[in-house]
Amino acid sequence: MDQSSQNKNHTKYMLTPWQAVRHILALWHAQAARLVIGVVLALLALCLGFALMQTSGLRVAGTVLGSVLVTTSLLRWVGAGRVILRYAERLFAHDAMFRALASLRVWFFRSLADGAAAGLGFKRAGDMLSRLVSDIGTLDGLYLRILLPFACACLTVPTLLLVLGKHNMLLGGGVAVLFGCSAFLIPYLIAVSGRKEAEKLTRDLADLRIGVLDLVSGLREIRAFGADKRVLAHIRATDTVLLDGQMRLAKRAAKANALAYLLGQSAIFLVLAAVSGKLFLNITPLAGVGCLFLVTAAFESASTLTRAGLQAGAMGAAAQRVMDIATSEPHSHTTGTVLQEAPLHPSIHIENLYFRWSEDRPYVFKGLTLNIAAGSRVALLGPSGVGKSSLAALLLKAARPEYGQITFDGIDLATIETSSLRQRIAWLSQATHLFDDSIRANLLLGRPDATEDDLWRALEDAAVADVVRNLPEGLDTWLGEGGIKLSGGQGRRIALARTLLTQAPVLILDEPATGLDAQTEHDFLETLNKVTEGRTVILIAHRLTGVEKLDCIWRLSGGTAAVSLT
Amino acid sequence: MSGEKAAVRAWTRKQSLLGRRAARPVILLGLLSPLCGVGQAWCIATLLGCALMSLSDGPVTACPSWPLYGFILFALIRAICMMGSDVAAAKSGINARQRLRNSVLHSILTGGPALLRNTHSGVLATTAVDRIEALDGFFARWIPASVLWMAAPLIILIPVYVVSPQAALVLGLCGLTVPFCQAIFGIGAAVASRNQFLAMTRLQARFLDRVKGIATIVLAGRTEDETRRLAGAAEELRLRTMKVLRVAFLSSASIDCAMVVALIVLATLTGAHALAQKEAGAHSLLEPMLRNGLFVLIVIPEFFAPLRSMALAYQDRAHAQGAATAILDLPDPVVPAVLPEGTRTVTANGVTVALDDVCFTWDPARGPALQNISFTVPAGETLILAGESGSGKSTIMELLLGFITPDSGRVLLNGAPLETLVPDSLCRMISWIGQKPVLFAGSLRDNVLFASPDADEESLQAALKAAAVDEFLPLLPNGLETMIGEGGFGLSGGQAQRIAIARAYLKNAPVLLLDEPTAHLDPLTEKSVFLSLQRLAAQKTVILATHSAAAHMLNGRRIDLQRGVIVSRQGAA
Repeated sequence: MDQSSQNKNHTKYMLTPWQAVRHILALWHAQAARLVIGVVLALLALCLGFALMQTSGLRVAGTVLGSVLVTTSLLRWVGAGRVILRYAERLFAHDAMFRALASLRVWFFRSLADGAAAGLGFKRAGDMLSRLVSDIGTLDGLYLRILLPFACACLTVPTLLLVLGKHNMLLGGGVAVLFGCSAFLIPYLIAVSGRKEAEKLTRDLADLRIGVLDLVSGLREIRAFGADKRVLAHIRATDTVLLDGQMRLAKRAAKANALAYLLGQSAIFLVLAAVSGKLFLNITPLAGVGCLFLVTAAFESASTLTRAGLQAGAMGAAAQRVMDIATSEPHSHTTGTVLQEAPLHPSIHIENLYFRWSEDRPYVFKGLTLNIAAGSRVALLGPSGVGKSSLAALLLKAARPEYGQITFDGIDLATIETSSLRQRIAWLSQATHLFDDSIRANLLLGRPDATEDDLWRALEDAAVADVVRNLPEGLDTWLGEGGIKLSGGQGRRIALARTLLTQAPVLILDEPATGLDAQTEHDFLETLNKVTEGRTVILIAHRLTGVEKLDCIWRLSGGTAAVSLT
Repeated sequence: MSGEKAAVRAWTRKQSLLGRRAARPVILLGLLSPLCGVGQAWCIATLLGCALMSLSDGPVTACPSWPLYGFILFALIRAICMMGSDVAAAKSGINARQRLRNSVLHSILTGGPALLRNTHSGVLATTAVDRIEALDGFFARWIPASVLWMAAPLIILIPVYVVSPQAALVLGLCGLTVPFCQAIFGIGAAVASRNQFLAMTRLQARFLDRVKGIATIVLAGRTEDETRRLAGAAEELRLRTMKVLRVAFLSSASIDCAMVVALIVLATLTGAHALAQKEAGAHSLLEPMLRNGLFVLIVIPEFFAPLRSMALAYQDRAHAQGAATAILDLPDPVVPAVLPEGTRTVTANGVTVALDDVCFTWDPARGPALQNISFTVPAGETLILAGESGSGKSTIMELLLGFITPDSGRVLLNGAPLETLVPDSLCRMISWIGQKPVLFAGSLRDNVLFASPDADEESLQAALKAAAVDEFLPLLPNGLETMIGEGGFGLSGGQAQRIAIARAYLKNAPVLLLDEPTAHLDPLTEKSVFLSLQRLAAQKTVILATHSAAAHMLNGRRIDLQRGVIVSRQGAA
């Protein structure tokens, strides 16, 4: 088994949407000040909005009494203030929100990386992408569409009660209840009843993305096996499920909107009834004009919350999916014990090691004992699937032994700090990834401060310098996805150059000569002898050519290792 | 560049036409709805005007109660209109997205693997998923808004004109400033929105690539670096998004401005008129004056609402242009039903494969990948392509698979040029096993059956046995039902290769293309894989690219390639 990680056996516990949302809010503490200022600006803009509607109504109504209740300049100031504040509020709030989202995306990537030393395992790249992009994107509504309007609604209720209640308590109460229904009760009910559907929609979108990515990355297989129609039909089915779900949501949204609208109209109706003295309500016409304009403005903001209720389910589901990454990773740090730096140039000792990737898989190692002296050159031989890559993963703490001990200069691996360990060991695995970037950037991943000369030397050592030199853009050639612009063997040697470039004292090279013909392989191995002088080299190979100058050969079989000295 | 712009414009125009047809109900309801609003405003104004008159010192008349009922009636009609228009808009957005996604997926399949050389799979997936999702706004909001922003305010202006020509003039003038501001902001909005989507695409492609290689990053101790770079991409997305929003907010602030100006001017005007009337003692004229003034004031938000939705939907239009650029980059989708003339099928038993003076260049700057390649492999025989990595072996495979077409020369199957073959029959003729087979996340059974989903259990078992998959099945936790992860997670390289061989068995095509099928395997495994391949190759035309010593197990002709040129031939090749 190459490159697998633990098939996680830990019981997966899922946060409730509410817990997930709380976690996310906690993650935004760095942006808290900005977010709060956004709320304050929104409230101010709302107050001025109310003031504007009331003053302009009074201005007209006042003329009946033959007096100017509101001066033109006051109207002008309130108007200008309203426009400016509204602009500032929206800009500021959105900026604060997107800052928070950017930092959430970074947090997500880091959490993902924390548990991914052995690769993604059963997670799917497309699903992770969906979480990083769409799910986190959805979360902007948490603040912009729920928290902000909610704060505004909380200010509106007492305003309505106070202003309307001043004229008529019954009217004030009635309108406030209607507003409460429209801003709080209905959105809440919609959110609760639509949760399942919203979660499903979030998943459906991720499914569509996975399906499309499968189609795109498997284009070769699909074309070669004539599976076009099948794969297309599958994606179309996924798409239909998603769109049907969206249609159902749209219908609910339409109903909710209409309901919110009718509630607002009922409130206006109450005011009108009061003005004409119906329904036991009675206020002066002048007050009525002010109230009418206020109520109209107030209910406009409530309709935002109705729509938010619909999206709340989606946001909860998105929050869950995002937080899921952080909670599902078992933290490999052994808490309690003090971790130490890895020794500079360690001798490696493995004692009676038992290991399997998961409980339902057979043992890879059953009592493996192995010694690798500092600075020695060792080969690990054996057929594929015998556990050579597993051993590398264990040494790098990408996997943990079930029983037995690995020590570096006598220090238990479990007590060595992981990042310092990974500085000491460089691993060229079968699954080493070439990034969609320039050759230079790919090499610099091995050693960020390498000079131009270092890069060329490493390419030279990996027997690929000629190829790169013949490329029109040399080191700046774009490699393409997975190194697609080069042939398989050339790409692999770029990866090798990257490994050689690191200054790690221990190199684990898994089949470094893949893709070379016999003569080139021979030359290459001789070069390798020179360039790795002084370093510990663990050569993982299927066979030996005789050129390798080895101190020791270990043959792996049946879960143990036997030494055969050269 | 201008040609591209014209193409984008043509595409957008075509989509607008299609979208407008679908948006007709939305537009109709969108016109009815503000009319209800006007009716409501009239009811309110009548009621308030009458009530306010009781305050003045003139004769008191009883107020009618019809405005109250009228108000309710209009509210109900309007609620129904809103609901209908929301649902219709959603429907037209959904239909359009379904249609476009279909066509994009067809385009990607038409372009085939050659697309991946220049475009990251993440970018392609973004085009098919997110670009199209983003188009919802274009069809559901922008297209109706683009009609309504003119029509609805004009319809409202008619009753306003009847009531007060002066107010209609003021409203009309304030309304006219809106398209003017939109034109100014709109240009900026389009550019900003295109850049924003680009930043989004970049973030996605970057993340997808990094996630696929996350183990490499973590083990190289570069997590912090990569995190910082991702933070940079996320920050760029924020800045771009803010640019889009700033323009959008400015344009909606300009509408706010126009509306507030209209409100203040009309409130002051009506007030001044009313005062003048009062001074003159014309009490009988005061009530209609007041009612009309209030009506105009109440109708103002109604007048500006369609303009506001237009401003809100403006960035949706920019999304459409962005999507058009991405979609036009893809090849035209081939409609499989219509075949060019002269296409044919080739008999399925015994296929002779030949290349006739074929040249191919991936990238002119890097020189030709293949030069004047000619060879013939008679039916049932084997050709070994040898040569070091990068010498052009895989390019020959891609040509034979029809993923790319030669710059000059011909690829012949039984004498018929490849491009004249029905795609389905070409696919039925050729099996292919590459260096690293793509395994999909799913069960092992699904992965084997991928080659032929309708295969019966018997042939499945036969394929598993022939490919020696049955040897390692007992080691897997759930045998054939074992779930494997993306990229074959949970299987070793040799095991994955055997799955690919089992697929080829199941497909049982007369031509077998093998592209370094044992590149990553140890000699023992390699030998047994070759044994499986030997069984598979019986009676088939085989082309094997390899530099393995074990290749002699499949004996046949041999060609040595060096930098895209044939340097030696053995056998009758």
